[in-house]
Amino acid sequence: MNGQPTAIEKIVAFVDERVGLKTLQAKMLNEPVPGGSRWAYVFGSVLLFIFIMQAATGILLMFYYVPSADHAYASTQYIIHEVDYGWFLLSYHFWGSSAMVVMVFAHMSQVFLWGAYKKPREMVWLVGLALFGIVMGFGFTGYLLPWDQRAYWATTVGVEIMDKTPIVGDFMARFLKGGPTPGQMTLSRFFVIHVMILPAALMGLAGLHVFFFRKAGPAGPFRGSSEELKAKTDYFFPRQIWKDMVAMGAVFFTICSLAFIEPVVLLEEATPDPGEYHPEPEWYFLFLFQLLRLKIFAGEFGQFLGAIALPGAFMALLAALPFIDRSPERNIFKRPIALVGWIIVMISIALFTVSAIINREFLD
Amino acid sequence: MQPKLKSKVRCTDREVGEVTKVIVDPLSHEVSHIVVGGNGAGTLERQVPMAQVQTVLEDAVQLRASSADLERFPLLKRDEYVTTKEVEIAHLEDHLHVEPGEVLVPLPELERNVKRRTFFANFTHAISLLVALPLAVPVLRYLMKPMYAPFDNHWIKIGNVGKIKTDDVGVQFKYKKKFKEAFMPEAEIDKNVWILKASPAVLGEVYKGKDMDFYDATGRLLWTNKANVPYVVYSGKCPHLGCGYKWRAHKVLGQVFLCPCHLSIYNAGGKVLDGPAPRPLDPLPIRVAANGDIEIIDMEFKAGTKAQVRIV
Repeated sequence: MNGQPTAIEKIVAFVDERVGLKTLQAKMLNEPVPGGSRWAYVFGSVLLFIFIMQAATGILLMFYYVPSADHAYASTQYIIHEVDYGWFLLSYHFWGSSAMVVMVFAHMSQVFLWGAYKKPREMVWLVGLALFGIVMGFGFTGYLLPWDQRAYWATTVGVEIMDKTPIVGDFMARFLKGGPTPGQMTLSRFFVIHVMILPAALMGLAGLHVFFFRKAGPAGPFRGSSEELKAKTDYFFPRQIWKDMVAMGAVFFTICSLAFIEPVVLLEEATPDPGEYHPEPEWYFLFLFQLLRLKIFAGEFGQFLGAIALPGAFMALLAALPFIDRSPERNIFKRPIALVGWIIVMISIALFTVSAIINREFLD
Repeated sequence: MQPKLKSKVRCTDREVGEVTKVIVDPLSHEVSHIVVGGNGAGTLERQVPMAQVQTVLEDAVQLRASSADLERFPLLKRDEYVTTKEVEIAHLEDHLHVEPGEVLVPLPELERNVKRRTFFANFTHAISLLVALPLAVPVLRYLMKPMYAPFDNHWIKIGNVGKIKTDDVGVQFKYKKKFKEAFMPEAEIDKNVWILKASPAVLGEVYKGKDMDFYDATGRLLWTNKANVPYVVYSGKCPHLGCGYKWRAHKVLGQVFLCPCHLSIYNAGGKVLDGPAPRPLDPLPIRVAANGDIEIIDMEFKAGTKAQVRIV
């Protein structure tokens, strides 16, 4: 070491002088985490990681995939059976979408239980809800693209559900399908939404989400005096980043394992005749699917109630949450309604999902 | 050394106050003036050019002028300045070491007319609207192009009644329908309907003793299913949410049409026995030739509504 800067150091210094790289890096990494880093805070970073991987695998799939009714199925089969590692990339993308939904639930639950949606973080929460909608939209539109029976029927039923929206339902459903029944126009539209509109919306809103989060600052733990919190506070780097990275590694390993153990297998090519196939949506929509089997959601009005009004009211309640629940108390053990509400919602979703799975056996 | 905010300001004869603000030249990034204000409230703020500063110490600024001369310096016109928080000046921090406090840069002469700024802001909105509004209709029409297709009222031959062996038992007829969508090559899609040879009781349940008329989109009569013709055809689409249903044995209800999606159950007459369906199965126009060949008009109705709304 002669004390002279190396070529790389010179380049870094050159760029830094012009764009303030080091300040930017310092600002990104030196965010104080009140009460110190925690495993409970990893979900946001993990979601970002999953999204980046979905974007990367998605772009790779587009090298072979053709979004047309006469080639979508064949090109997907080609990816699975002919292209080297095609099965793996497709299966990773498939399981990655499930991981995304699981992590969104975990992230939202953490924020809810920690009371982190309360003032001054209402805007972070609202943008987060929009992101939740986008993730669900990704799942719904991506499902159609392989153009197999599963894809076709999940879309048929899903769009019929949208059709039940009062006044605008028929227009919305036709607009989305590009006609009265699913076909090439539907595939084109879902493809554009899946690979262009939703990714752009997600990137924009995720940026806004992080920006608002940084403006408001992390909420920190829900108990402990300010002296205790101050004593335990550290920066985002290195301890929180280390936890985030470990979580990302674990998620990556899990998705890869699922892709190996349960790689994607297509059913028959899509057709308006279901044959012996029993239509069913992706597992994270199963509870809604089962809900619509209930007698109380029978008939035209019942269907509107179960398919549109109930989920709509639930989302509206979530959006209104920070404005209804104005008490500054964040400790979940001192918010009995919130805790019981969360438990009820989680148990209901679990029960409906399990009963949908049990119901399968009676159909064969 | 640069003068610091809150530094004491001394004239040749006595201390007159402190540096309340500094004014920076936005181009050279040099401090051009200091603003001297009194310690007490109510004292006027005057701007003193750096040329009048003799020396800058760690916590004090020595002026060349006497306290009496200070009166000659102009008062600070705060309106003519913006803070560095409101304006983006690249690399300012590299040159300036006066934090914390308000660092001012002069508002350019041309920017001091407030009315004009409002006009320009409104002008931007007007131009944006001028661009967006004429595009709204073309874009919407562009996207709506395939939404409403005319109905296809052709008769399609789908099989022969010889396939039906027993009365009041649902028999699935699969057929290919020619299908041409927009620019796509003509294709054949698989479709299916359920047909049964109905006993008088079941037939009565379907038609309620009345002939069933079918109309085209303009309201012209297409066909009438006579209430005494025993062959009944149901659209293969479940009226609940559009899945494909099956003819199945049910533990309690016997032989029924059952939809595996949301478990709607219909009897042979199409009546809803159980489950969430809002209306009975949809009969379609059917005609049976003397040799037993069955022809139908392929129709689809919107699922989930009490009334039949044809969409295909």
